[in-house]
Amino acid sequence: MGDNWGFVLAAYALAAIVLTGYWRHLVRRERELNAPVAGQPPGAPGAPPRQR
Amino acid sequence: MTRVLGWLAALALLAGLGMAFAVAPREATQGTVQRIMYVHVPSVWVAYCAFVVVFVASIAYLATRAEAADRLAHASAEVGVLFTGLTIATGSIWGKPTWGTWWTWDARLTSVAVLFVMYVGYLLLRGMIDEGERAARYAAVLGVVAALNIPLVHFSVLWWRTLHQPPSLMKPGPSSMPPVIVRALLVNFAAFALLYLYFVAKRVRLLRLEGEAGA
Repeated sequence: MGDNWGFVLAAYALAAIVLTGYWRHLVRRERELNAPVAGQPPGAPGAPPRQR
Repeated sequence: MTRVLGWLAALALLAGLGMAFAVAPREATQGTVQRIMYVHVPSVWVAYCAFVVVFVASIAYLATRAEAADRLAHASAEVGVLFTGLTIATGSIWGKPTWGTWWTWDARLTSVAVLFVMYVGYLLLRGMIDEGERAARYAAVLGVVAALNIPLVHFSVLWWRTLHQPPSLMKPGPSSMPPVIVRALLVNFAAFALLYLYFVAKRVRLLRLEGEAGA
């Protein structure tokens, strides 16, 4: 059977894209939730909680 | 703690790549394409573990109504879906040069596809119900029922005649694989397991923050 390096690289590239994409999604969401609401000091009633 | 887990997972993934491409030899029958197994097999093992965690956390939620158990089940289901999707995609990429087809309605492939759809359904169910407690309760019931599919997936290759090969490692008796390939698989499994723990820890924290922000 041939070596099919293209298939191997495609599988690893796909895994890298999917896992990095999910990690970036989590980091972005965390940043959004930790960002203070405009006009409110962080921790004020109604403002999203800060990172602990 | 989460950050440490993230770094450990990154280092373990690098070690896993090293094992897959520098240490493990070119497999004699399949050739280089067998190296896809170092992503495909650990992905499905981690997905199994993720759904077992959903099962246990769902039972814990139904018994205690603890929000932490519900958050753990939710996070683990989401990460489990990610790894199941990766399993199906990498298996398909491996199948084309090896079997000559991207997909076949074989018992193993079909049962994994059903597993994937059930947990996507679990996540959709959570998203469709606005009332938090009811969403958690319904999801917990589905989390328990869907786990019944895990043994079906694992034993499908033994119970039916399939194109997919029977298990090489998770079976009674010694492994039929050379030790170096087993080691490469185990290092990659450890890396994926650490990545799973990192993702779940991060997702649980986000769910808590989302709950507090919405309260």
